[in-house]
Amino acid sequence: MIEKVPSKNLERTVAVIGNPNTGKSTLFTALTGVHSQIGNYPGVTVEKKLGWFEFEGQSIRLVDLPGTYSLSPRTIDEMVSVDVLLGRQPEVGQIDAVVCIVDASNLERNLYVLSQVLDLGLPTVLVLNMWDVAQERGIQINPEELANRLGIPAIPCEAHRRKQIDLIRSEIVKASHAPKSTPLDIFPEAFHEEGRTLQAEFQQFSNQVLPTYLVERLILDVGGQLEIDLTKPNPEQLISRLKEARERLKALQFRVPNIEAKLRYGWSRQILNGVMSVPEKRPAVATDTLDRWLTHRFWGLLAFCLAMFIVFQSISWAAQPLMKFCEFGQKQVGEMIGSLLPFGPFRSLVVDGVIAGVGGILVFLPQICFLFLFIALLEDCGYMARAAFLMDKLMTKVGLSGKSFVPLMSSFACAIPGIMATRTIENRRDRMVTILVAPLMSCSARAPVYWLMVAAFFPSISWAGGWITLHGVMLFVMTFFGAVVAIPIAWLFKKTLFKGETPPFVMELPSYKVPSPRIVLHRVFDRASAFVMRAGTLILATSILIWGASYFPSDHTEEQKVLTEIRQAESTFARELEAKEQLSLLRENHSHPNAPQAEIDERLAELDQRLKPLHDLFDTRNKISEQLLANSFLGRFGKIIEPVVKPLGWDWRIGVGVLASFPAREVIVATLGTIYSLGGDVDENSQGLQSALQSATWPDGRPVYSIPVAISIMVFFALCAQCASTLMVIRRETNHWGWAAFTFAYMTTLAYIGAWVAYVAASWLLAS
Amino acid sequence: MSSVVSHALPLEMMSAGEQGLVVEIDGAPELVVRLEEMGLHTGVRVYMVQPGSPCILEINHQRYSMRFDESVTVLVGLVP
Repeated sequence: MIEKVPSKNLERTVAVIGNPNTGKSTLFTALTGVHSQIGNYPGVTVEKKLGWFEFEGQSIRLVDLPGTYSLSPRTIDEMVSVDVLLGRQPEVGQIDAVVCIVDASNLERNLYVLSQVLDLGLPTVLVLNMWDVAQERGIQINPEELANRLGIPAIPCEAHRRKQIDLIRSEIVKASHAPKSTPLDIFPEAFHEEGRTLQAEFQQFSNQVLPTYLVERLILDVGGQLEIDLTKPNPEQLISRLKEARERLKALQFRVPNIEAKLRYGWSRQILNGVMSVPEKRPAVATDTLDRWLTHRFWGLLAFCLAMFIVFQSISWAAQPLMKFCEFGQKQVGEMIGSLLPFGPFRSLVVDGVIAGVGGILVFLPQICFLFLFIALLEDCGYMARAAFLMDKLMTKVGLSGKSFVPLMSSFACAIPGIMATRTIENRRDRMVTILVAPLMSCSARAPVYWLMVAAFFPSISWAGGWITLHGVMLFVMTFFGAVVAIPIAWLFKKTLFKGETPPFVMELPSYKVPSPRIVLHRVFDRASAFVMRAGTLILATSILIWGASYFPSDHTEEQKVLTEIRQAESTFARELEAKEQLSLLRENHSHPNAPQAEIDERLAELDQRLKPLHDLFDTRNKISEQLLANSFLGRFGKIIEPVVKPLGWDWRIGVGVLASFPAREVIVATLGTIYSLGGDVDENSQGLQSALQSATWPDGRPVYSIPVAISIMVFFALCAQCASTLMVIRRETNHWGWAAFTFAYMTTLAYIGAWVAYVAASWLLAS
Repeated sequence: MSSVVSHALPLEMMSAGEQGLVVEIDGAPELVVRLEEMGLHTGVRVYMVQPGSPCILEINHQRYSMRFDESVTVLVGLVP
């Protein structure tokens, strides 16, 4: 690494650390603005968040470390934070200073991690965030005296109001140039003595030269990640030496691990004595009453269900007009480009492959944004922790704890962040079960499939003055279907593969707060751009592949001839077509009192009569196209697999679509878009994929899609593991390919059986 | 500590509105250390907001939801 040069312009690296729920990300965003970058540390899935700012001519690189209550590295995640602070993480390099952010309304506990940071001997800046909350609760703190006693700057701050940000920037710049300070030392000399002995022993038995800090942590953290990592070279010798050291200390009344908390909290009290005064009882705040209702055994659960119901109702209600608009746009673009290009393979590739495929999935962007907006709002306002509290009781029934609830809830947006969020679960068995059932939660990629099927095949009935719609109810049911199935599955896993006690459950309930628009919008933007990226890469590639397989090897000259004739006929009948469109609109709206239905219908029939030559042309085109598709590579392949999917009520096109969507489930929408655009089940009224599905038929003329088929497709998608990225994350998080393969196998089997049962049951119910 | 500590009882037996000082935390070392780091340590004052399993506790004005089992025992002495 480069030696530190005391030049003003060389970039300095500063780490930001603090307890969870202290507003660390808000402060980070306030300090760096838009100049940030998110990645991963190599080998682990800990998020590496970097940001930059320049102040008084000094450029600073901030490293955001995951929120933690302590610096004792008991898990791999915490190990990364310690490595960064010790300068052992090559991706980050040497750390020049540390910003420790604490919750001013809960200083005693927050100073615990500060004491560990001060042990490092790095220049430190203390940020007393949530100063307003502390004031509200009647907590009096003297920041000057606190700074004095600690020997470091202590700045009161309200990060969400961006108060004192420049002062913090300036202190960071100062600290980044300060020399190393003497580490805080609250442990007795005997402990350091043992540390030195152990350090020498490690060098002797494993040839490792360890920093003093790590050796001392090794003594303090019984059964932690360090013990596993560092004793690897010579476990027998090293573990027994370590145990001996702990025994010797125990004889001196230095009992590991309890002694650390005792000493650190003792120090924290001593520092705060006379600096802070706290009223005995927390004054009642408005949100306490709200909290009583929201955490109530009965009303709380009811409120939770209601909140979820409202979320899904409003997604279908609010996103509908936007989606219509997107569909309209997609159609316009398709027509415009279509009219510019001559008939032939290239036009077909662009219009049927790319626009019908990728465009078909992009129209769901409004819904995706709304879904992530709601989840981000619930997370940021502090409600998620309450939901976890409410769910703990239910989760213990299947052998898990409330801790599993938050990862599972996030999986409703996407299983990938959900599975990554399982790292907060310390118990390995619980974590494994949570990872294995997380992909069953209905992620946002399943939503387009539900939206498409529900909108196309369920009648639009509404109750309660339009507030509750059948579509909304169906979406709600489908969204929670996977979660309901996950209950017996999780129970089964916990009873067979991962037997063991349910661990105790401890979780902080942060104060409610108004969600920060910046953070919420940032999250929505992140997820939305990931969705668009996927549409532009993986889905685009699959669409082109599917197009190629369904276009070739047939001869398309006859089809092109008919298409040219259609184009000519369309311009001949332009006036009739326009009149028909206007009349259809009138009929749909029924609002025009001067235009009686009967008269409109009569005129429509008359127009259709005149348009008959055009209709005939469309029929010919549909017949040719269907033949061409059936003879294509895709068609031939589809016929082979048809017997497998027939029991589910599917035709070969659905079968092919489902197979193509194993890398990413939302591909089904794109694939169906391409297949039906090429397959020719369209006429001049075609309004995109929905109506194409409605008019699809079996060779004998029966419609392919019925409510049972739609349900069978939805159940299959609800339960199937159609997401390569999720399987990769499972492999990475469980460190084994086996678990990814297991997840794939159990979910796919479940999906096939589920879809079959759903099809048979729904057909029987609707027939009786 | 100024308040007079009466007899000690397991934390989960506290009723709503009762306050106590943590006298002892016993159990598996990793679990005990986690609790201590989060703020539930010997000598701290706890206030029972909502008893039950899980319960809601208040420590230093911060609320937590907790559910204990045989692996950890937290003894508290009630204070008025």
